[in-house]
Amino acid sequence: MIAVQDIRDTARDLLAKNEVRAVIGYRRGTNGMFAEPVVITAAEQADQLVWDPTCFHNLSLYLVEDRKFLKHVKQNPDLPIAIVAKGCDARAIVVLMQEHYFERKNVYVIGVSCEGTGMLDERKLASRGIQASDAAFDGDDLVFATAQGEQRIPAREVMADRCLECRTPCPKEYDALLGEDKTGRELAEPFAALKRFEEQDAVERWKFWERQFDRCIRCFACRSVCPMCYCDECVVDSISFPVNAQTSAEEKANRVRWIERSAVRSENITYHMTRAIHLAGRCVDCNECERVCPVNIPLRLLNNKMEREAREQFGYEPGASVSVPALVASFLDSDPGKFIR
Amino acid sequence: MEKILGKTQIDGWIAALSGYEILAPAVEDGIWAYKPVNGEVRLDHGNTTQPPKGLSFPQREVFFSFEQIKGEPPRLTQKLPDAPRRAVFGVRPCDGCGAVRMDKVFNDHVVDNYYQARRSNVAYVGLACNKPQGSNCFCLSVGGSPVSSEGMDVLMTDLGDRYFVAALTETGKALMAAGGKLFSEPAAADRKLLEQTHAEAVAHPQRAVNNLDTVPAKLKASFNSPLWEELARACIGCGVCTFLCPTCHCFDINDENTSASPLKGNRVRTWDNCQFPDFTMHTSGHNPRESLGSRLRQRVSHKFRYFPENFGMPQCTGCGRCITECSVGIDIVTVVNKVTEHAG
Repeated sequence: MIAVQDIRDTARDLLAKNEVRAVIGYRRGTNGMFAEPVVITAAEQADQLVWDPTCFHNLSLYLVEDRKFLKHVKQNPDLPIAIVAKGCDARAIVVLMQEHYFERKNVYVIGVSCEGTGMLDERKLASRGIQASDAAFDGDDLVFATAQGEQRIPAREVMADRCLECRTPCPKEYDALLGEDKTGRELAEPFAALKRFEEQDAVERWKFWERQFDRCIRCFACRSVCPMCYCDECVVDSISFPVNAQTSAEEKANRVRWIERSAVRSENITYHMTRAIHLAGRCVDCNECERVCPVNIPLRLLNNKMEREAREQFGYEPGASVSVPALVASFLDSDPGKFIR
Repeated sequence: MEKILGKTQIDGWIAALSGYEILAPAVEDGIWAYKPVNGEVRLDHGNTTQPPKGLSFPQREVFFSFEQIKGEPPRLTQKLPDAPRRAVFGVRPCDGCGAVRMDKVFNDHVVDNYYQARRSNVAYVGLACNKPQGSNCFCLSVGGSPVSSEGMDVLMTDLGDRYFVAALTETGKALMAAGGKLFSEPAAADRKLLEQTHAEAVAHPQRAVNNLDTVPAKLKASFNSPLWEELARACIGCGVCTFLCPTCHCFDINDENTSASPLKGNRVRTWDNCQFPDFTMHTSGHNPRESLGSRLRQRVSHKFRYFPENFGMPQCTGCGRCITECSVGIDIVTVVNKVTEHAG
């Protein structure tokens, strides 16, 4: 278990010694007990940082935002930006580096091990009618402070599925590591939900997805929260290419609208399918997309399907190592598919 | 008209409402939403994830279809909605207030025929909140109340084993009249319990926007405050806050072609969203609201400054959805309070 003081000390030290220009971490929010992302730039702000089972957010998103901002203002600072990264967040950072989104020297990874812990699933907790003001691990239990007093629940009953199935809760890529690296945690079988889902026949599965996608309101929270959705132009935006002062009227008029703005089944499905395919071999199962979906679309089933495909077909695990080429940017001479050779 | 309805009688009342499609909150796939009633109605919900706004202002509205055949003038066919008459049960007071604000925009100075065609066929049967439905409720501080009847045709209050039911409009009276003898006259004890229930509901602590009256001027003074960027630092620029809002009403209009030759299609209005990067994108490529801070400022200023200036009431009704559903903790109560405190 990590003491929050260790995270604060690490951040304070890095900022005080001017080794990093900012630290991306978590602080206490004002929406109930939930933590929220924060970027601190001064040593005295380090005491804001927290670490608890509501630090769900994959903060590597803010590394992407930082890069976009620096590109926009045409700056390239020497100092790296530091980030508090769980196992899943660190995998995302690795993917971003494999894709050369930024260089290793641009980022200082404060790895935090989820070993023995994990993140809470807000919906599992809400379905039990619990409104808590605090959550903390105590051994195998999660202990909640509520208006009715302390409530103790076995952690695996209210932890996020992705945490239960996670095999690398400790970051493999880091500059500093907090917590213990105990491998071999097996709280639940990987791809459990996907396996259950695939027991249905194709007709049932299609009916299921139609119902799910009919509900989509196209708020794009899934895309916006995803560190892998960093494209300058996204297929769903009404401007389907970046417009600038030199873009001609003809180019604008002739833009291809692949997906209409209407939140109807055909457009919703096209959006989600496009996103799923674009995440194949890149999604690290942080499951932020599913967590932030306001209408509870089980996006993890899609992403898990692609993840398992990459694993079974190519023995590839996204985010495992910076030194391995990205799956979609490499091929093998031994590839059985003739079209690629 | 004020009556008492036993809780076991509600299904009977609903069955008696012929000519109406009845909607009530139900859980499907883990989400509370207004669904057509199919069997028993239990009004034990907190609040729905989405307000009932979409019944009058759907996310997609076809204005007209068009067809261009060579050598002929273009053919346009208007598509005014043929909306069914609906009665929506279990609407919470914040969402009733939301309907009032939507009416200000689409049904006041200018009447939007598409909105009006739907809105005039929707009746709201509200349910007062005996206590706040969530930890982010703040209706009292924005001029609302957990027992407000604003925007409702009927307001019900839960009195334990029965509802106190009050009609507020002619439509509401007609709805209640259809229930006939299922309703009984309230006794003095019922009225006393109603008063007590409402007093307790209003006394229940809530979150609060501070000093509402001073907010518009302070927001005006804070237009160039660096706080906006700071408060929006974690914002991911998604559309959750506005798409779930009972009063956000911005829209986009596009032509959706269904055939290229001959050219055929529909002109469609869809919800738009001030948090999206392309919302204010000019054809020149210039975007006056490029930063997330400027977009947060727009959302908050619309609710708490521009709308009060135009309509004399805050646009925000304190439902708390944008706080609860924000994945990164952007909190409109905190934002308004911080910006206004900073303005002195």
